[in-house]
Amino acid sequence: MTTALAVQHLAKSYGKKNAVRDVSFQIQEGEIFGLMGMNGAGKTTILRMLATLLKPDSGDALIAGHSIVQHPEEVRACISYLPDEAGAYKTMTGKNYLAFIAGLYFKSEQEQKECAALGEQICGLGDALSQKINTYSRGMTRKLVLARTVMTKPKLAILDEPTSGLDVLNSLDIRRTIRRCAEEYGTAFLLSSHHMQEVYTTADRGAIMKDGEFLAEGTPQELLEQYGAETLEEAFEKAVKSA
Amino acid sequence: MKNLLKKELSELFNPQMLMGLLVSFILIVMLGFVMTSSVSESLEATGEVHIIDMDQTGFTQQITDYLEEQGYTVKKISENSGNPENPAYETILKEQNWKEAVVLPSGLMDQLLFEHTSCELHAVRVLETTSTVSVMETGESSAELVRDAISGLLMKNLIGESMAYLENPVSFASYTIANGKTVRANSFSLVSSMAMFDQLMPLILFMLIILTSQTIITAIGSEKTDKTLETLLSSPMPRSVILGAKMLSSLIVAVVYAAVYGIGFATSLLFTVDKTAENVNIGEAFSEILSTKQAMQTLGLQISGIGWVGVILQLILTIGIALVVSTILGGFVEDAKGSQTASLPIVILTMFPYILSMVSDIRNMDLPVRILLYLIPFTHTFTATGCLRFGQTGIFFGGLLYQAVFLAGMIFFALKLYQSDILFVHSLGKKSAKSKLIKR
Repeated sequence: MTTALAVQHLAKSYGKKNAVRDVSFQIQEGEIFGLMGMNGAGKTTILRMLATLLKPDSGDALIAGHSIVQHPEEVRACISYLPDEAGAYKTMTGKNYLAFIAGLYFKSEQEQKECAALGEQICGLGDALSQKINTYSRGMTRKLVLARTVMTKPKLAILDEPTSGLDVLNSLDIRRTIRRCAEEYGTAFLLSSHHMQEVYTTADRGAIMKDGEFLAEGTPQELLEQYGAETLEEAFEKAVKSA
Repeated sequence: MKNLLKKELSELFNPQMLMGLLVSFILIVMLGFVMTSSVSESLEATGEVHIIDMDQTGFTQQITDYLEEQGYTVKKISENSGNPENPAYETILKEQNWKEAVVLPSGLMDQLLFEHTSCELHAVRVLETTSTVSVMETGESSAELVRDAISGLLMKNLIGESMAYLENPVSFASYTIANGKTVRANSFSLVSSMAMFDQLMPLILFMLIILTSQTIITAIGSEKTDKTLETLLSSPMPRSVILGAKMLSSLIVAVVYAAVYGIGFATSLLFTVDKTAENVNIGEAFSEILSTKQAMQTLGLQISGIGWVGVILQLILTIGIALVVSTILGGFVEDAKGSQTASLPIVILTMFPYILSMVSDIRNMDLPVRILLYLIPFTHTFTATGCLRFGQTGIFFGGLLYQAVFLAGMIFFALKLYQSDILFVHSLGKKSAKSKLIKR
């Protein structure tokens, strides 16, 4: 299996506050990796560094073999980033938005059309795609922006709290879409979440974070066994309190 | 109630508001300082009466004494020579460093006291600015004061003469000096015709700068709120292209606005100038009538074709600077709400030279104040037409060059900014982006 992401001793601080300390991990092609942690644990900072929005103080990460420090332009061609609570351009229709994003990733019209068509199919919004985004519900917008994230078939999709603020049914739809895209397109996913159940049901592996460090890393089952817990919430609580 | 009031006040008195308040305070103090100095100079000038005495009789001495009794300082020079058809007033006023004067012609006493006929005096004014406020702030001119003095003296000396004659014993011929040339023309009429462009153009420019600035800062603020900026900046599209598209779109909007304003303005200008040319007879007491256009041509106040090209280039550079600086400021905005605070520096840096150019003549201010003002790139645009009309082409082209260099520097800085992570670490918001990141 090919390594989609290899994080090597990544660190980032804001003034005196160490947001991320010496974090290393790998994600394979088609694998879903979940970052779990409380507010301020450093999840978003890791995601933003991998999305080339923030520069690491030290360490590096290779995405499809490209360094985020040395070659951020090449990295951007291999990734797709979905920020927490990301919106879309409200005056555009769903269709136009997907076409616009496809235009950012592909030069040929044919590729752009195919990409946008895939996005339309993934989001499953049907006729609503012809409506302006400002008429969409939160769940519809989330499905649209998730579709635009995965329709480019990136090597690595970086999702920050992908189901944050969504109801159960919409959350389930989003998780299934992530799972399907990982299997069908071989896209590796790195997602952050507060919802342990989300990580348990969606991710192949995950890590528990506190104060910028990984406390534990493994499959959901391995994490449960490591902390002698029945649920991931329990494992998380034990991990954080014992640290 | 107490809790609610405390909550409301703590929301209203936020760091942005206090920063805005502080900057506004500094601006008002600085503006007041510059204005006070300008007004003091004009007040000093209004206490003086400048007379060119070509009659040199006891009567002209009585005029001087009369004015001095009224509390005015009379500065008088005696002139014997001079071609009345082509008087070299520019030389005399330049030597005396006067901005205006009244000429008492040879034979004044004979005409007024013995022949009892109305006499024609020359009212001379140096034109250095097209700011109507600046031209008018000299207040009561020497000519008006001298007329009142003559009228007062005649009432004492010519008892029984008709009141109509005693009240208006003299008429005036206006002379305007500009660019070292003198022409029989009324300076107020000339300024009025030029002010249509020289004062309305800065107003339109002022509005355009504020408009484009707020448009782009709000757009970037909205992109930050919706997190669409992060989507764009993490895409393979080069950041220079993203930045260029953002600025170009705002420029197009600004050009559309400018075109609409400009067409409306040009239409009104053409109509007004035509009317002025038809109706205004410059040089009230003369049979020779000069049109505004002729008078401006003679004085060299018209802007050449190259000058207009420079003015247009300067407008483009000015809007370009506003766009790039706004893009930089937009980068520090946390969300759409912070846009207004972020645009404050642009508003101040535009409003300051704009107001000063309206009420005073920046080109003739004290050197330190001028240097300070010329460091603001927008100032050059507000003084552009004045420089071109009054022969200060060096200052004009220097300003143009400065603006071009400033713009290039700002573009370089903007590109660096949008390639760095400062955008996501620093902000002008209540809570910095950094502290928000740390929280997560």
